[in-house]
Amino acid sequence: MRTTRIVLALAGLAALGYGISLVVPFAIGSPESARSTVEFLVGGPVVHDGIVAPVVGVVGLLIARKLPRHWRTPVRLGAAISAVLGLIAVPALWRGYAGLHNPGLDDRNYPLGLLLALLVVWLVVVAAALARRRTDQPPPTAVGRQNR
Amino acid sequence: MDGRRHPIRSRLPRSPRPPEEKDFTAEAHDRTVTSRIGLWLGIAFTVCFVTGLLSHFIQHPTSWFFWPSRPVSLYRFTQGLHVISGIAAIPLLLAKLWSVFPKLFGKPLVRSLPHAIERGSILLLSASAFFELITGVFNIFQNYPWPFYFPTIHYAIAWVAVGSIAVHVAVKLPVIRLGLGEEPGFKPGRDSLSRRGFLRATWLTTGVAVLATAGSSVPFLRTVSVLATQNTDGEQSLPVNRSAAHAGIIAKATDPAWRLEIAAPHGLHRFSLADLRAMPQTTAELPIACVEGWSRSATWTGVPVADLLRAVGSGPGTALRVESLERGSIYGSSTLPGEHTQDPLTLLALRLNGEVLDLDHGFPCRIIAPSRPGVLQTKWVVRMEVLS
Repeated sequence: MRTTRIVLALAGLAALGYGISLVVPFAIGSPESARSTVEFLVGGPVVHDGIVAPVVGVVGLLIARKLPRHWRTPVRLGAAISAVLGLIAVPALWRGYAGLHNPGLDDRNYPLGLLLALLVVWLVVVAAALARRRTDQPPPTAVGRQNR
Repeated sequence: MDGRRHPIRSRLPRSPRPPEEKDFTAEAHDRTVTSRIGLWLGIAFTVCFVTGLLSHFIQHPTSWFFWPSRPVSLYRFTQGLHVISGIAAIPLLLAKLWSVFPKLFGKPLVRSLPHAIERGSILLLSASAFFELITGVFNIFQNYPWPFYFPTIHYAIAWVAVGSIAVHVAVKLPVIRLGLGEEPGFKPGRDSLSRRGFLRATWLTTGVAVLATAGSSVPFLRTVSVLATQNTDGEQSLPVNRSAAHAGIIAKATDPAWRLEIAAPHGLHRFSLADLRAMPQTTAELPIACVEGWSRSATWTGVPVADLLRAVGSGPGTALRVESLERGSIYGSSTLPGEHTQDPLTLLALRLNGEVLDLDHGFPCRIIAPSRPGVLQTKWVVRMEVLS
């Protein structure tokens, strides 16, 4: 395993170095591009660690604390799927910097499509929650922890 | 609401304070979860990197690089895979980062030099991974909220991303092996899914993300994929990636004086549209496969490029530079390598799906070669040069 780790680390450092060597001339050539690249690089971790992950944590806690038991898992899944679909849809819905219109390529009705997809997801969530309530048997952990 | 008071409520701090690593009690933060999602994220990134590398070298060939012309859908497959694996990496990356999120609050911030390097490499990994996925998804939708030239920087940062992933795996290998060796288990957390439950949620979300987009390259998913980048229509039932109006070539392309000029070692040859139509025609089912990931098969009819080469006294297997009426853009010219000029299915197409080629698809004639990126299937061809 030691050899594997050393080889992997060296290969990784070489790839990393090569990548940086490709970025540097590009950055020197155009300060505007360089600034924008740095913004997009830093933006990912900052937005994720500062906003996305905390929101996920708070929503997860709210689901766990505020929802009836049989709703929790379906809603967690529904929320996760909705969030990911919403993220992927951003460049389709927000066309602020879109290139020239191409017939047949980008003329799908994205708002309607996303809406329908979310509708299906949340119908399944509701159906799953109701099905879970019907076959509800008190989970041993919850009862044991809270009432005994 | 089941009405019971939750015992954990009393354990929450009375006054707000920054969270600490131990505050995160969810099962998702266990190493059995992290290592499994990490494994699949690593696979997704590797597939994405390798297919991206192939696409890069097809467009910027080096002497040692060889790309076959068969099977005809090979590029359609690799580039479709590039986009699908990239999309799959989005939920996987988010789930992976959520799994390790508590470590962000670990104290002390830096324990030692190796620890500092490790944390730095993770920052680089997260920055480059997000960069690739964000710019990639925007590029799929041809939306560019940045001033830089996408292909160059997306390619450069890809090396940074795989490099930092390799370093990260090297550092974490002992923990990864431990995590993969243990069973995740079905026991639910106090306020969370079980480990197995979180993993299943991750796989399900990844599957839905792929289903929602894969119709761009997988025909039977076209109606299911609400976020795919091609509709069912376009001129002659084929999407258009650059219209004749945008290219500004309508007048020249429809001018009766249009002639195809072929510069061969034995002199200059000119072909009118009637000349080309009089030559033996080949009809073939070939896909247009765009670098942005969408692809679509169509029936093309035209003159095999190999026949054109013979007609000008050259032979199949010679590289051919192709120039468009459109100048000064990335679509302006392309070079067909010998591998493709000797393939009898590499056509100078005159017809599409049984009709005369639409202006938007490259009238009077365009290149359609098997297993090549769409950007190199030059439209509105006006000149060719046989390269020795």
